[in-house]
Amino acid sequence: MTLRLQSAWLLEAVSDMATIDSVFFPFIHRFSALNWLSRRDFALSVNAYSVSQAMLLRAWLDGSYGAFSDRNLQKFNQQIKNPLELSMNPFRAWKDRLFDRQQLDYLFYWREAAFEIEEEAQREIFWAAVYQIMSYWLSNRACEVEVVCQPDEIMGLMLNRHAEFIRGREARVSVTRLGLDELAPADTCLTVFPLVFSDEENAEMTLQVVFDAWQNGHDDLEQSRRQIRMHLRKYLIDFSKPDDYYTITRLVANSKIAALVWSGLDLPPALYEQELVRPLQKALAGRYTKSQLLMKAVDRTCDAYDYLLLFS
Amino acid sequence: MLITLFNAVLIVLITWLAYLYFDLKEKATPAKERYSQLVRGVASVVDRLEGYDKEHSREIAELSERIGVACGLKDEQLQSLNAAAMLHDLGELLLPRDLVKSSKKLEGDELELLRTHTLLGELHLKAQIEELDEVPSLIRWHHERWDGLGYPDNLKGEEIPLAARIIALADAISAMNAHRGYRKRQYAGDADVIAEVKRLSGMQFDPQLVKTWLGIGCPLSGVKK
Repeated sequence: MTLRLQSAWLLEAVSDMATIDSVFFPFIHRFSALNWLSRRDFALSVNAYSVSQAMLLRAWLDGSYGAFSDRNLQKFNQQIKNPLELSMNPFRAWKDRLFDRQQLDYLFYWREAAFEIEEEAQREIFWAAVYQIMSYWLSNRACEVEVVCQPDEIMGLMLNRHAEFIRGREARVSVTRLGLDELAPADTCLTVFPLVFSDEENAEMTLQVVFDAWQNGHDDLEQSRRQIRMHLRKYLIDFSKPDDYYTITRLVANSKIAALVWSGLDLPPALYEQELVRPLQKALAGRYTKSQLLMKAVDRTCDAYDYLLLFS
Repeated sequence: MLITLFNAVLIVLITWLAYLYFDLKEKATPAKERYSQLVRGVASVVDRLEGYDKEHSREIAELSERIGVACGLKDEQLQSLNAAAMLHDLGELLLPRDLVKSSKKLEGDELELLRTHTLLGELHLKAQIEELDEVPSLIRWHHERWDGLGYPDNLKGEEIPLAARIIALADAISAMNAHRGYRKRQYAGDADVIAEVKRLSGMQFDPQLVKTWLGIGCPLSGVKK
């Protein structure tokens, strides 16, 4: 699921069509992809595909939540001096498969400690920092690179990074967590659909699976994987059903502009034009009069291009 | 007899085409070299204006190439990597000088403005070269981080093209190791730079690239010692 959302490119491309004051994302693959947009002065509505993703979007994008307080940092980011009892750890099945013993101790401690944080927004920031820490641990583990930072040090670093990340946010962010069938079209200037073509598991999806299980307090990765796949499948674009764009046409109904973004790999641009762009133009012909396809090269040796299809 | 004659003609034709291809390729090489020299020239002007005490862009391009070769990049990818590494900070020329050369830690609007140099560099180059060349995109993404907390697009992990990840690593190593007229060297010794790169593996840098860099002896520049 490689998807590069180039927000500055998107806004530049639509700037001739309208003044953008509101943007709606019926789906987003990863919270940080919306960082640039959430720094602009407009209303940003995002629908998350899972409960844990909704929490990450709130914690990392909504500046009104503020940063994690120093008082809470001192209270809840303690160093574990002696190893915890492994048999009590609900994530013990992950030992040496995903995390080492010390990391598992901290994952157990951080999850439990967070329940004692009184303010929900602060708790979500603390948990959201764990997402980044898991990403750091898992990616180093996958490459067999030794992790140098101690867990409490990395937690401090991540919360510091979070404070820097949310500084200067201007967008009024609203996050929903609704199934695609329940989601109503938003009255926004611009609706953006990031397109995904495959639910093949990559490192980011594995991280989302592990985090989802951790946040729910169990070690059953298959359960989380099934849930996430079930949600994601609703957003998958299937080339073999070129006329099946009902969801897209329904959800852009109240927007002045619709934008579809995707990243291609191993398929030449002409094929995307034939198999995706033309059927979409046909599907949206009743709603919009103009369409424009923009492309950017990423790596020509493997036909990697980023695409932006606009309707106005 | 007819088939034999046809084959003979075909062999002559293929030989002639092969000769034509290699002849043209040979003639094209100096043009490529002239292009490289031109890019190096532009990059050295950028370095001078940025206040570096040495050929910063060339150093990054050479270090990037060493890492790129170790990663098994193809010739075409190495060419794009070299050009993007040479011109990665081009966008800074379009920003106010006092902002770029500021020795204080930038915050707020000033920091946001400085960060636009990635977009400005891409836009400026795109207007000058073929639309579907990847070099402008690599310049756009040379400040992305492996953990998704970089800029401008907050790409994460392998969403960031390998060449852009390489430039990001080489640029950071060079920055840790360099001093500008208005800013001292960040790290005292080579061992400190290596320790910092290891510390940031999986956060700022691709762990696989860090491993590759460690594997080729942790070069701090493109020149082999």
